[in-house]
Amino acid sequence: MKCRKRIGLFFLNIFFILICLICLVPVLYALGISLNSHNDLLSSNFSLIPKDLTLENYRCVLFEKPFFLWLKNSLILSVFTVLISILVAVPGAYALSRKRFHGRKTILNLLVLLNAFPAILSMFAVYRILKPLGLVNSFTGLILIYIGTMAIFGLWNMKGYFDTIPEEIEEAGEMDGAGDFQLIWKIILPLARPSIIVTAVMILIYVWNEYIFAVTFITSSSKYTLAAGLYALQATDYTRNWPVFSAASLLVSIPVLIIFFCIQRYMTSGLTAGGVKE
Amino acid sequence: MKKKGSRPYLYLTPSLVVIGLIVIFPILYTGYISLTNMNIYHWFHPEFVGLQNYAKAIFVFDSGFISALLRTVLWTVINMVLQMVIAYIIAVLLNTEGLRAHKLYKTILMFPWAMPGYVSILLWKMGMFNNEYGLLNQWLGKLGLNGVRWLDGNVSAFLSCTLVNLWLALPFMIMIIDGALQSVDKSYYESATLEGAGFFTKLRKITIPLVRPVIAPAVVITIFTTFKQFDIIYLLTQQQGSKTGADIHTVITYTYEKAFVTNNYGYSAAVSVIIFLLLILFSVFTNKELKEGYR
Repeated sequence: MKCRKRIGLFFLNIFFILICLICLVPVLYALGISLNSHNDLLSSNFSLIPKDLTLENYRCVLFEKPFFLWLKNSLILSVFTVLISILVAVPGAYALSRKRFHGRKTILNLLVLLNAFPAILSMFAVYRILKPLGLVNSFTGLILIYIGTMAIFGLWNMKGYFDTIPEEIEEAGEMDGAGDFQLIWKIILPLARPSIIVTAVMILIYVWNEYIFAVTFITSSSKYTLAAGLYALQATDYTRNWPVFSAASLLVSIPVLIIFFCIQRYMTSGLTAGGVKE
Repeated sequence: MKKKGSRPYLYLTPSLVVIGLIVIFPILYTGYISLTNMNIYHWFHPEFVGLQNYAKAIFVFDSGFISALLRTVLWTVINMVLQMVIAYIIAVLLNTEGLRAHKLYKTILMFPWAMPGYVSILLWKMGMFNNEYGLLNQWLGKLGLNGVRWLDGNVSAFLSCTLVNLWLALPFMIMIIDGALQSVDKSYYESATLEGAGFFTKLRKITIPLVRPVIAPAVVITIFTTFKQFDIIYLLTQQQGSKTGADIHTVITYTYEKAFVTNNYGYSAAVSVIIFLLLILFSVFTNKELKEGYR
């Protein structure tokens, strides 16, 4: 019996190692190509493990392309979007979770319906609206779009988590004469940390990875984000630049990967408490 | 606690202003555009054409909208079924007793979720599917087989997109189902085993009823994201300048093309409104279902 179990576990481990390899293969391949001194791409004896190690492709990305400029733009956009989004959504989510007021149900239902509308379908309308306001090809316009697109997610996700915090804690605080601001700052924010962190990171990752609005609304490549720049890089002449593109895409992914795995332990609780329930 | 007053509205104002400007107003404006013949030639003074655009989308089969819609439904169903089954199997296996490295496996399995989506898709396109130097064709070559032009034919492109979507979406589903499975009390299974229940009886009588309400919201959200999936199909097959020739438009890429490639804004807006109405219908339907699940 014990022996059979061992054999079972052995095969299970092999199964998982295979699955993990499938998971990683596109990225490992890109890593191999980016480190390979070029041009044996088309030859048949190309292998995953590079024979001639080189950092040439990374050097090319970092110093021959406007990588640091794009990085700066990405940072500006994501920091502002996340800060404003959280500032805007926390009081809103608090009101939806704790206050009972006329029209609350309507707003909640409306938000669910609006969330069904794919942002990309209203892109043209947004363009026609922002153009006369002079907000095309400007960070302000793009930040506004990102905040608006993520606002519903932020409201719902944090409202759902606030709902799980027992009200008695605040009632005690209220007895001591604390106002709404103090209640949010001293009680809700510390208790709702997982959900606020996850919401903020989700917005950050969204901005970091968003390319289609960025290339549509930003016309000068000096204002591109990393995502837009990378997209433009592969859209123009990707065959020739494939090793460079691999290097660039790995460099762009690293910050997101680090952040993601840092907050992974919050992920389940911070993301599922919101849900679509009421 | 539940005082009446204007403060809740004050707290909500900033959110509602942004949502109004970026979400609601554009939707209403899209509704207006859908009733006009706005295109490249009628950019400033579009004429009012009534429901003509809607009629074209729904009744003219050649317009491609109905077939894109059917294809999108097929895409959503296939992807959801595969995702649920595979994620369930992997989650159950991860929870096998005595599997010591399960934490390590779980972390690695989350990897595709952590990667930026468009980067992964482009890496798949160039690294895996590429006709000449893609890894898949290299492997086929090593086996002495001819390479496949993965993204060129309709069927193979559809399957390739499905593969990439599974690769991207499975981690989230595995995490959700894994979390739900861990919330199930192990003693149920023990007493069921004592009473002689088999694998499928346990699955039907214990696992599914207990896991269902926990994963329901995540599943509904995933159905929406799958239906609205744009990046995979667009980047793999429809990208401007590197179209592969496969016509596997879903409704979203179809609408995008009508607006930004052929510049038929009025028509594209009408299609957007139709899609929106369908999604509203679906979310009203699932909302009811979800609330029942929580009782």
